[in-house]
Amino acid sequence: MWNSSKSVLASSVCTKIVIVIVILTAVASPYLVKNYISYTMKDPDIITPLVMTIIACAVPGLMALFSLDRLLTNIKRKEVFIEKNVRHLRVISWCSFAVSVISLISGFYYLLFLIIAVAAAFFGLILRVVKNVIEQALIIKNENDFTI
Amino acid sequence: MAIIVNLDVIMAKRKISAGDLSNIIGITPANLSILKNNKAKAIRFSTLEEICKALDCQPGDILEFKRED
Repeated sequence: MWNSSKSVLASSVCTKIVIVIVILTAVASPYLVKNYISYTMKDPDIITPLVMTIIACAVPGLMALFSLDRLLTNIKRKEVFIEKNVRHLRVISWCSFAVSVISLISGFYYLLFLIIAVAAAFFGLILRVVKNVIEQALIIKNENDFTI
Repeated sequence: MAIIVNLDVIMAKRKISAGDLSNIIGITPANLSILKNNKAKAIRFSTLEEICKALDCQPGDILEFKRED
């Protein structure tokens, strides 16, 4: 039977799979980009900037994924409304904004990155709101825990 | 906090242990400890009523207001 603990476990497994995919993509990015450029017959001059963008985005991406993994570990331990989780959400949000800025700059040589910039900024904004909600919930929980 | 809980004073006067009092009023010893050590942010009227009943006292005997300047 599907329940919340299995759902958290599935999210945790997915996060770990995505971490591996991001690392592999970052490592194989020169090869992947070269193949993509030759397949789409685009200007070969953008190979180096494209690889640089992918690797630059992989760093905040991995930071966000590791924070997400730690967040899920806390949720597994039934520790949802704690200061650490607020911090993890803040890190993920800032990482999204970092990816957005990198993509925005990369949008000058490859327009498609502008879509990623907008999506990452939007995602970061949503996470900031979620972080604010958890922050307020933490205050309410503390108040409730210390009401005897 | 400007409100001080003098529960330990009344408990000492009535010669009642924390374990016994928590059993009588129906709260956990951990919560009673929070109350005794002035770490509580609020107290329910129902808890206050049970404490007053158990210790045969008035709310004013347990709670005290001290101005913080």
